[in-house]
Amino acid sequence: MMLRYSLSFLLAVPALLLLVGCGDSEITPALIERSLSDSEKNFKIAESSTERFRYQTSPSVGGTSAAAENTGGPKLVYDTPEGWTEKPGSAMRDINFSIGENAEAECYVARLPGVGGGLLANVNRWRSQMGAEPLTGEQVAALPTKTLFGQQASFVAIDGNYTPGMGSTDTFENYRLLGLILASDAGAVFVKMTGPKDLITKNEAAFDQFTQSIDVNLN
Amino acid sequence: MAKAPTDWSPSNWPRLLYRFFTSFKLATVILVFMTVVTLLGTLGQVDNGLHAAKVKYFHSFVFSEKIFGIPVILPGGLLLMIILFINMTLGAIVKVRKRWKGAGLLVSHFGMLMLLAGGFITWAFSTDGYMALYPGMSTNRVESYREWQLEIIPLSTDGIAEKAWIYPAESLETMYSDEQRVIKAESLPFDVVINGYSKNATPIPVSAPMAAGVTGRELDGFKLSPQKPSKEAEQNLPGCFVEFRPRDGSAPVEAILWAGSYRFDPREKPMPFTFTVNGQLYGALLVKKSWTVPFTVRLDEFIFERHPGVMTARNYESRVTRFEEAQPDKPLEIKMNEPMRHAGYTFFQESFGPSGSQPGDEMFSQFAVANNPADQWPLWALIINGIGLGIHFVIMLVNFTVRARNKRLSLPALS
Repeated sequence: MMLRYSLSFLLAVPALLLLVGCGDSEITPALIERSLSDSEKNFKIAESSTERFRYQTSPSVGGTSAAAENTGGPKLVYDTPEGWTEKPGSAMRDINFSIGENAEAECYVARLPGVGGGLLANVNRWRSQMGAEPLTGEQVAALPTKTLFGQQASFVAIDGNYTPGMGSTDTFENYRLLGLILASDAGAVFVKMTGPKDLITKNEAAFDQFTQSIDVNLN
Repeated sequence: MAKAPTDWSPSNWPRLLYRFFTSFKLATVILVFMTVVTLLGTLGQVDNGLHAAKVKYFHSFVFSEKIFGIPVILPGGLLLMIILFINMTLGAIVKVRKRWKGAGLLVSHFGMLMLLAGGFITWAFSTDGYMALYPGMSTNRVESYREWQLEIIPLSTDGIAEKAWIYPAESLETMYSDEQRVIKAESLPFDVVINGYSKNATPIPVSAPMAAGVTGRELDGFKLSPQKPSKEAEQNLPGCFVEFRPRDGSAPVEAILWAGSYRFDPREKPMPFTFTVNGQLYGALLVKKSWTVPFTVRLDEFIFERHPGVMTARNYESRVTRFEEAQPDKPLEIKMNEPMRHAGYTFFQESFGPSGSQPGDEMFSQFAVANNPADQWPLWALIINGIGLGIHFVIMLVNFTVRARNKRLSLPALS
């Protein structure tokens, strides 16, 4: 019988020690030095945080997002819908269009690394710009989707009075916003079209044609 | 007859402990809890993703779960399986009366113990990572899918480094977002301060509209926006603030580090934050934890076929050469469901890249590299279990037949 009791101790005591021991992760107070293998020795010295964080800074030129053209990175290719006029890009816009005879509406594509602030926050930021009530996480999750880069992107259509923000306090009445948000492991992509409701409604098919045509060309 | 009161004196503790761990009631309670944990873990996977659910429900000693809005502390899978192992060893192997009739059950309990032990060895000692190679590239280094570490590297002006100082992933991932850690390395002329570590984050330029909603410091035109961890843990890109405090009293240097500055493609060069102390250029960046295997793999050819007219992959496989000291070079093929197993490591054909590549583009091949000392244990455990149950079935059948025959013989003949 003593053998059995001893066995119970032999099994239980190490298990209890394990319970205590595994609970605390060891915190290393110092840096550990090691040699780098051949595949780890080469680094790129980035010129700025903008490059290090993979934001693009070059303006866009017709037909391809041409930040990549200058950097040698992947290019965006797309079809320009009829009646849309391409404008130079900016630090935040890879592709930029004006729409309408007097450029009353606009459409742009922006890419951010990571998830770009998250789907919920961005949908509600757009809704707030249109004076609409914010949606809950469940409502955002239930948004319809459209194809962008071969993946399903959340589609947003909001009518209201548009306050662009970014320092502007102007409000434009009877506007419509169409947007696509895609959060993937390669980063977040935003396509946003805003303008007078009639003009945007007339260009909804062109918006779909444009968003479905956007692709990455690595050649 | 009244039940004798329990003797709680220290001299009786071994007996009480033995009785507790061999109790059939304990086994029943553990199995009920395991059912509950399995159910919660399966449901939790929907919200948290596979990896996070495994860590919370099955790799834990205890965890907290809201049931109907009320937080409840429950035992985790690891604790339950350790107790079940002890219970089964003492109760079903040591305590049980040894007789031929129970031989099958004894064997099948050995199988179950082996299954539990295999699970423990997998949890404690297995590693999994990946190796990505373009044709012509070779390496013996495997990178983690999910674990990131901080590296400080002395750099030449053309971006070459020979060694690095590492703050390991095991330490970094225990940091809270509001925690600050000062880390020292005697051989470096500065101390490193890490704070604001976030397991998933995005640097946002202050010129972007969404930066308005990001609290926290601005550095070099950027803010670091913490994000909810992704369901797929390998998609998380951590970020943090770092400060380098030179010990000679000169001005400290601050920066945001973000895992996205590391590489997404095996040919890409990582982009560290660079700074100069005492005339030496240093780089700092978050890199994936990596380790080496005891042989080198060179990708000779990557064969990739698509379905006609679409971009979807139909088949992909890799021709590799394995180089090992004191062994002849070995050409091999790694295909879907035909992994390379060698020296305790298994190389599976996992995926390919870069994403969005077009027909004719050069592509890289990615292998999942697993090292699990208990890799085949579940198979052996189930075989032992099956043999045990088979023996038990035969013994029961023989017993039944003998009993039935005896009963028949003992009946008075009807006439």
